[in-house]
Amino acid sequence: MLGYWSPITQSTGFISRGAIAAAGVLVMAGFALSESLPQYKTSPDVLQAPSMEHWLGTNGIGQDVFVGLVRAAPITVFLALITATAALVLALAASSLAAFGGSRIRSAILRLVDVLQVIPSILLLLLLAAWIQPGFLGLVVLLSLTGWHEDVRVALPILLRELTRENVHFARRMGASRRYCLRHHILPAIWPAIVGLFLQNVRQAALKTAGFGFLGLTDPRLLTWGSMIQDSMDYLYTEAWLWLLLPPAGALSLFLVGILIIGEGYMSNGSLSGKEHHDPR
Amino acid sequence: MVPPIILNMLSGLGVRLLVFALLVLLVFFLPRMLPGDPVEVFLSSDLSRNLNGAESAELRAQFGLAGDWPQQLGVYLWDLIRGDLGYSVPHAAPVSELLRASIPWTLLLISCAAPIFLFVGAAGGIEAGKAPGAFFDRIATGVVMVVASIPPFTSAVLLLLAFGILWPVLPSGGSEPFFPSSNPLQRDFDIARHAVLPVLALSLHEISRFYFLARGEAITLSQRPFILNACGRGIKGWRLRTTYYGRSLFPVFLARMSDALTGLFGAVLFVEIVFSYPGTGHLIYNAILDRDYILLQGAVIVMAGLVLLLNWIIDAVATSLARRG
Repeated sequence: MLGYWSPITQSTGFISRGAIAAAGVLVMAGFALSESLPQYKTSPDVLQAPSMEHWLGTNGIGQDVFVGLVRAAPITVFLALITATAALVLALAASSLAAFGGSRIRSAILRLVDVLQVIPSILLLLLLAAWIQPGFLGLVVLLSLTGWHEDVRVALPILLRELTRENVHFARRMGASRRYCLRHHILPAIWPAIVGLFLQNVRQAALKTAGFGFLGLTDPRLLTWGSMIQDSMDYLYTEAWLWLLLPPAGALSLFLVGILIIGEGYMSNGSLSGKEHHDPR
Repeated sequence: MVPPIILNMLSGLGVRLLVFALLVLLVFFLPRMLPGDPVEVFLSSDLSRNLNGAESAELRAQFGLAGDWPQQLGVYLWDLIRGDLGYSVPHAAPVSELLRASIPWTLLLISCAAPIFLFVGAAGGIEAGKAPGAFFDRIATGVVMVVASIPPFTSAVLLLLAFGILWPVLPSGGSEPFFPSSNPLQRDFDIARHAVLPVLALSLHEISRFYFLARGEAITLSQRPFILNACGRGIKGWRLRTTYYGRSLFPVFLARMSDALTGLFGAVLFVEIVFSYPGTGHLIYNAILDRDYILLQGAVIVMAGLVLLLNWIIDAVATSLARRG
């Protein structure tokens, strides 16, 4: 019974690691490519319809929309991935602290999570963003600091459940070290939940950063799909929305749907739901 | 002996009061901690003109920046307690008056959208969760997944384009015509017409949250004996969906509602901006654009207080319902 689930958890772990690695490679390639891409520069050809020269037309100050779309892609995706990772790391650190640190620390952390839960974070973020016009790093810090607490509410019960299972007790009795238990019993068991949380975080982070870009509250030099949508707002009453609004909005939605589908596929591939189902207890 | 529900409510109130106090302090200290002087930031904007020392000092006093910071905090808190949120220079009106004019519009949008997204989310989720994997579930879940992946501002812009500009059947902005009709009935009708698109955009964004919640709950409920029994007794159709599924969903929905409130106020902000609807979101956004920090601070404090209050009420109702089982 002990090794029963390890093939699946290992294979899903392999898949998710593969997906993360692939995303990393893509982002790196995007960054490398963006250096060799044509500059996203202004030109006299303003509001040109799509043509052979400008595949997706140009915007109000003559920038090529297609170049902008490609240049914004790694920034938007990377921003979401980094923010999601930072929030997850914070949440896991807080959860482990709560799980291992004794009842007083645990209740303090749960209290903090309760407090963060009722803070209207969007208002707080607006206030901060209005003042500091965050760039890449600023967005990561702001969004991860206001987003990690939701993950604790999911991660902590799972962690506590796994810590009190027989296999861990058994292994400890047989002389396994804490580190061994963590690596061979607890981590494989909570890994699917971690990946699920990560994907959820990526969606949230992408939505929020796009929102800030749309409001124009980010550093104006930070080109994201959200800020490209903001650019199109002035041209809704002209024909130009066709090539100014639809490409970035479509790219953003595709990215979000993609993450959702990966998450769904991952869940139904038997990690979370399947595990619950076949749980002997 | 105090009943536990009262204790629970009191502790909830305590947490929220603490959060509110922290927010007020943050709003007070933030502009003072950051580099730059609010008066100078204000003067470096478009309204810039040269001021002599006396005028500058007067402006400082008006901004609540006279004296050292404990003094400033005292003045600030005292003003806040009296309900004086300061004076907005770009709007040439007291902040509290501006908020009083805009909060009803925001509440109108939310209170019109809430029944729509709650009902559609619940009905769709129950229908899909009753038979997961069936035809309806596959179609509806697919559609909701796509809708959930369109950011709220994008769906609002698309709605605006579709029904306000390309096929202009509905007004594309504002909350009523430029010159409101003197006939009250006509005026109500105009207000309703203007609210249709923003309400639709807001509901569209929130449906997915409650749809997935209802679907998940319905899937587990379908396994419960009382539902199996009801199905066995031949109860079906509307009665099964409302009395058996719907009632059991109610506490879960309420509990989620208190979490969703913050998101709702965030979404309403985007919707108001896209439709230039004169609610608080629009007010806050313009305050940011105008660098009207006094208005921004006042609006953030009042809205935070409103969100905390609503969220406390919903939480209290949810816990009392959950205790009933």
